[in-house]
Amino acid sequence: MTPEEKYELFERKINDELSSNEEKTLSQIIKEDEAISEEFRIYKEWTFYLDANLNLEEQSDLENNLKKVGDSFFEKQPAKKETKVVKIPSWAYAIAASVVIILGVYTFTKNGPTYNDFASIPELSITERGNEDEIGKKAQVSFNSKNYKEAEKYLSELLKNDNSNSEYLFYLGITLVEQDKYEKASEILEKLRQGTSVYKYKAIWFEALNQLKQKNIGRCTELLKSLPEEAEDYQHAQKLLKKL
Amino acid sequence: MGNIKMHADQKYIEALLNNDSIVIKEIYKKFAPKVVGYIKKNSGDESKAQDIIQETLITVYRQAKEKELILTCPFDAYFFLLCKRKWLNELKKNTTKEVTINEEVVSINDESVQYVDETLVFEAKNELFKEVFDQLGKACKELLKATFTIKSMEEVASKLGQSYGYVRKKKSLCIGQLTKMVQSAPKYNKIKNLL
Repeated sequence: MTPEEKYELFERKINDELSSNEEKTLSQIIKEDEAISEEFRIYKEWTFYLDANLNLEEQSDLENNLKKVGDSFFEKQPAKKETKVVKIPSWAYAIAASVVIILGVYTFTKNGPTYNDFASIPELSITERGNEDEIGKKAQVSFNSKNYKEAEKYLSELLKNDNSNSEYLFYLGITLVEQDKYEKASEILEKLRQGTSVYKYKAIWFEALNQLKQKNIGRCTELLKSLPEEAEDYQHAQKLLKKL
Repeated sequence: MGNIKMHADQKYIEALLNNDSIVIKEIYKKFAPKVVGYIKKNSGDESKAQDIIQETLITVYRQAKEKELILTCPFDAYFFLLCKRKWLNELKKNTTKEVTINEEVVSINDESVQYVDETLVFEAKNELFKEVFDQLGKACKELLKATFTIKSMEEVASKLGQSYGYVRKKKSLCIGQLTKMVQSAPKYNKIKNLL
């Protein structure tokens, strides 16, 4: 039997087109010749594989559906109370850092450093997903578009139901500093500073900037010095210290 | 095969085959949180978890479609283990550092491990087949694509401007060629005995 004949026989077997005599011959061959038996097995595997993989319409329907179900499932994950992940993209920090450096070099002048030279406001990205989704979205949009008055309102509302949420507190603190509501800002940032959340050091940095804004250089220096080396803003703090 | 006792969780496999949204939602609700928890504990996040879950469900679907997949054990452990292996592979791929894994105690019975192994062999085979198919000549590729997407051979023949007899013959030759190519692939010997 030539290879061509062999493959044709395989093909017809798979398509159920063999006469009973041919069936007999083929099963005899498969029984006696291990090599052909293996070849037939792989040939069959290929047919199933090609059928499933060259005909992907069904699979892509399923993929789309899984994506849809998955998206809505992950949106509806209940909010977790303790650990919050803030998605501040790392490039944002890189840009912020370079802006600070450029500004730092630029503003090395007789006027001394100012709040605006050093404040790089992180983006707010609320990962809380629940009934408060709408308010969260509004808070996020207004905060990121620097509408701090609005953002303050929405963040305060979110805090009503979750009054120890460090993410909300931290961003609320920033909105207050930005609006020159110094005392209220200090109150909140102090609370975070004394806590153990991931915003602890960020809060120290912003409280220092809050003090800088009010020209309370002494308190500002004190706070900057309390930032440990592992804090994200440690380098910024050192630069600011040098200029004070 | 007649004696196999099908587990009630077979409904999840059927749901994937039938693209049944209601039961698919149930799959996410019931089985996703554990996977999400595991991936988050091991250097991942929710969006990574979503990808891994989706890929795993597609693998299960493909296996069920190509081969028969009859569950005789709960879907839970089988699915979790598959997601876990996938995630660990992903971590290994993307990091040169050593990965610390926070293991979680899951009660795993031998049966689910066996299912997982089968699925993984299936996946390895599929990967090999894909590689081999990519190496196939252009003419064969086109002909096979046509014959497996258009069901009627007459239509394929007219589309390719060939005779019916030629297309039939050529199809079996092309698959024969793929068969030979797989057999001579070094990777094939590794998984051959497991198939």
